[in-house]
Amino acid sequence: MNIFLKLILKDIRSTFSGGSDAGAAILFYLLAIIMFPLGFGSDNQLLAQVASGAIWMAALFSSMLSLDRVFRSDYEDGTLEQMVLSGISLEFIIITKCFSHWLTNGLPIIILSPIMAIIIGLDIQYCWILIMALLLGTPSLTLIGAAPAALSCTVGKGGVIITMVVLPLMLPILILGSGAITAEIKGMGGIGHLYVLAAIFPIASVIVPFLASKAIRLGWE
Amino acid sequence: MIKVLNYYANPGRFRRLSEKMYPWSLGLTIIFLLLGLWFALFNSPPDYQQGETVRIMYVHVPSAWMSLFIYSAMTIFSIFSLIWKHPMADLLCKSSAPIGACFTLIALVTGSIWGKPTWGTWWVWDARLTSVFILFLIYMGLIGLVRAIDDQVKSARACAILTLMCAIIIPFIKFSVDYWNTLHQPASIIRAGGPSIHHEMLIPLFLMAVSFMIFYFSFVLLNAQTELYQRRLKAIFIKNVEDKK
Repeated sequence: MNIFLKLILKDIRSTFSGGSDAGAAILFYLLAIIMFPLGFGSDNQLLAQVASGAIWMAALFSSMLSLDRVFRSDYEDGTLEQMVLSGISLEFIIITKCFSHWLTNGLPIIILSPIMAIIIGLDIQYCWILIMALLLGTPSLTLIGAAPAALSCTVGKGGVIITMVVLPLMLPILILGSGAITAEIKGMGGIGHLYVLAAIFPIASVIVPFLASKAIRLGWE
Repeated sequence: MIKVLNYYANPGRFRRLSEKMYPWSLGLTIIFLLLGLWFALFNSPPDYQQGETVRIMYVHVPSAWMSLFIYSAMTIFSIFSLIWKHPMADLLCKSSAPIGACFTLIALVTGSIWGKPTWGTWWVWDARLTSVFILFLIYMGLIGLVRAIDDQVKSARACAILTLMCAIIIPFIKFSVDYWNTLHQPASIIRAGGPSIHHEMLIPLFLMAVSFMIFYFSFVLLNAQTELYQRRLKAIFIKNVEDKK
């Protein structure tokens, strides 16, 4: 447990001490949402309809953009290898990395989402389901993106190809997350969507550390 | 079982076996395909509601089955490749992806053509259609990833990791028609309580499904052989260059 906290503190400290684009990813989230009213025009009714989708898409892209850096710097300067040599299991390190990514990316997104919901014109009474959906969905976004991110380190080619692979994996979360809010607005109740969203998280948290560690070890072979 | 697997881990042995099996499986594919097409086009009744358009089913349904079947096969190959590091499982997983992508595309396109006269629309964002479309994107991503990495072993392992990761979509697609009651009709053949369509339609459907299955089998072998020959050519080329030095 002590190591867990230390690793997370290390990651968060390196995020805040600059050199990381965690802040830029959050800024991207804000800007992307502001783009929607500018692009669609300021028709309130239309904006209220696309609001949930806009917020979710912005969250997804922001998470995807920052995920590329989760393992890269530690992989490239050999920190990851030294940590594994010192006896910490790689799966454990991956879990801490995902957790700290969620703290620096998912959590700010959730905290900012009520404000963004007001800006984009989502009715304030649906804010609770937006926050619930984001709370259940963003950890899965982080986890699902982690395995391809680990793969991109070892492959040496990030960018478009990894994005192409990650995107279809993240689509179910986007569909369920924004579907929950849309269903609630239509009066059908979004709880069902939330249940499925909540089910994805434990599945991902079991599979991903194993696969991501395989991906990183591939680079050390 | 393990002994046989180990025996065919040798690329040469595997290639010789697949070369022996290839003409037979290709011949069987053609026989079943011709038989199935004859039944499907001339010897099966038109639907009482949809008329002659129902014949699209004989291509659409088997290719949709194949898109799921090939992905499941790839998942099994990736498990073999990650746990036992079986080189031929790597190869088969890699060579399956383009065939799977083709079948998924055929299922999507024929479904769209079938949808226009029966549903009145080319495309809807229904649960089944969306999830199959995501499967197509996954196939394309896998192909892209394999192409992007030069190292043989690395590209195969990367492909295996991603295949396992995306395997969660398979049950999602299968049960999408049961959980979400949207436009696509629920399963009518592989379901509890037996198939719900008439046997005169079932015969051509199964003939087509069998021919598609053997088609996949023979072309995955062909793809694997091509890859093995390419590797050998490369090795011979490198050896020649080194000898000249």
